[in-house]
Amino acid sequence: MLIEIKSLSKNYVMGEVEVPALIDINVHIKQNEYVAIMGPSGSGKSTFMNILGCLDTPTTGQYIFNKTDVSSLSDDALSAMRNKEIGFIFQNFNLLPRLNALQNVELPLVYSGIKSEERRERALRALDRVGLSDRIHHKSSEMSGGQRQRVAIARALVTNPGILLADEPTGALDSKTGDEIMVLFDELHREGNTIILITHEQEIANYAHRTIHIKDGMIHSDKANSPR
Amino acid sequence: MEYQENIRLAIRGLIDHKFRSFLTMLGIIFGVASVITMLSIGEGAKRQAIAKYQDLGVNNIIVREKKLSDEELEEVRAKFSPGLSLLDASVIKEIVPGVIRTASQSEINSEAKYTDKSVKSTIIGITPDYAEMLNYKTAKGNFITDDHNKRALKVCVLGAGVANTLFRNEDPIGKMIKVEDQWLEVVGVLKSKTLFTETVGELAARDLNTDVYVPLATFLSRFSHENILTSQIQQITIQVESSNRLEEDSKLIDGILKRHHFNNEDYNIVVPYELLQQEEKERQIYNFLLGAIAAISLLVGGIGIMNIMLATVMERTREIGIRRAIGARKSDIMSQFVTEAVAISITGGIIGVILGVSLSLTVSLFTDITTYIQPYSIFIAFGFSVLVGISFGYLPAKNAANLKPIDSIRYE
Repeated sequence: MLIEIKSLSKNYVMGEVEVPALIDINVHIKQNEYVAIMGPSGSGKSTFMNILGCLDTPTTGQYIFNKTDVSSLSDDALSAMRNKEIGFIFQNFNLLPRLNALQNVELPLVYSGIKSEERRERALRALDRVGLSDRIHHKSSEMSGGQRQRVAIARALVTNPGILLADEPTGALDSKTGDEIMVLFDELHREGNTIILITHEQEIANYAHRTIHIKDGMIHSDKANSPR
Repeated sequence: MEYQENIRLAIRGLIDHKFRSFLTMLGIIFGVASVITMLSIGEGAKRQAIAKYQDLGVNNIIVREKKLSDEELEEVRAKFSPGLSLLDASVIKEIVPGVIRTASQSEINSEAKYTDKSVKSTIIGITPDYAEMLNYKTAKGNFITDDHNKRALKVCVLGAGVANTLFRNEDPIGKMIKVEDQWLEVVGVLKSKTLFTETVGELAARDLNTDVYVPLATFLSRFSHENILTSQIQQITIQVESSNRLEEDSKLIDGILKRHHFNNEDYNIVVPYELLQQEEKERQIYNFLLGAIAAISLLVGGIGIMNIMLATVMERTREIGIRRAIGARKSDIMSQFVTEAVAISITGGIIGVILGVSLSLTVSLFTDITTYIQPYSIFIAFGFSVLVGISFGYLPAKNAANLKPIDSIRYE
């Protein structure tokens, strides 16, 4: 089992009241699964994604990633988890505007202390994988949305993470480019990657093989998609 | 993360924001430049003072006749003081411990003449020791010798200024000059001495280059005016074996002279070394003030850095969030921002050093203020600027590191 989530809850303190964002979540995700997490805004799906991505920690319950209990990790260890095990793909790409594509993709490797030649080599390979070999010296302002998202995917892939965590990856793209990106995810899944996709669009969720609906901080449904 | 990455990142940051970086550095630039300039001015003044006192001999005690009006002199003589005399000199040498030698000098203001030229000068009768005690060097010929003095020969050594005026294109050695009604043969010319532009203790400022030196014996027999009001000699220079004898010996000498002069204070005792120390002490306060002003400007420069850095951290919240999301530790963010602050202050420091050095050279070139740049002052100023960078970069860097990744990545 890659991910085990056991009776996980998350409360936010707003002034003097505690507001529950997630209530008693239990989820298991296996290696090479392709899961879509759906839910309306305010449902708690972003909080769930932040906890899965080690950007946030649960209030109670357990999050076990690859036999490591993430809930008990220090800040530095969480940074290392994000660096090595999690590949983030964001709706608004979140590339560093001053860096070119190659430098953006190299960045996670910089933080894992990998020497520059190896960094460059691996970054080039990742960019090649997403079909951007001819754009490596372009800054994000010089690229289209689809190209930016490909750079972001290359950045997520470059560390060979345990999971790819995509938060509305097509939300800022037109439908044609969005479809292209989803095709790329399909390919990545076939190559053995575990993908967790967060979306509120049914069409996008249909690409995944399993859909978890979250509503009011609780799992509303969790079922396999009918194969396309 | 390797530190080279941080340095690369910081330098890129500086280049990407040239104008902002320059403004941020401005405080450091002026701070460092002012530290270097002010220290160089202080050091220049110190060296000038040391040179001045070295001319008087740092191990010397100078006893000089007090300038008194004729009425005062008559009163002193009536109270049985004969004024400074050779006897005073020999008693001091005999009695006071640690005295190596004494040199007596007797002087008159007169004119030195050669052919149709003449120059106002001070004629000074001295003993041969004088040259060594006061560090006089000849440019041509020799100084007065023991032989000259014993035989009271009619010879003289000219100050550089006198030689220049009287013997423009001639070799003065062997020529005869006329002083009062006496003919003197020139046996030597002194090297030019630095001008005394200010009074040292009770010693009046004067130009040593207009002096004409003759053997004391010659002076006493040829130039002494038989006048009861004139003392036999005008000055006794006493050399002691080390500077820590100066204080005690000058008190002893004062006691001896008081007795010999029947408590008439018709002389002054000047200890150049003590005056030097005193001057140094006064200058220390001044230097401290200069240093404080410079330090304050560096401090203001540091606050400038902090200010801009804090603003930069806000502006780059999103960047910090992204870096954190892809695996940067708090310490990575921290060192990134500290390195940036240090890069700003080092660059500012280098520019400041260049500015400071040129400023102090300009000051010494275009004003009468002497400056001297001590290499260590450059290191101090530079080191201080790096320190400012680290300490004022720390807070903004800490703020940056403590931003929550989830909040900062969504920051617009």
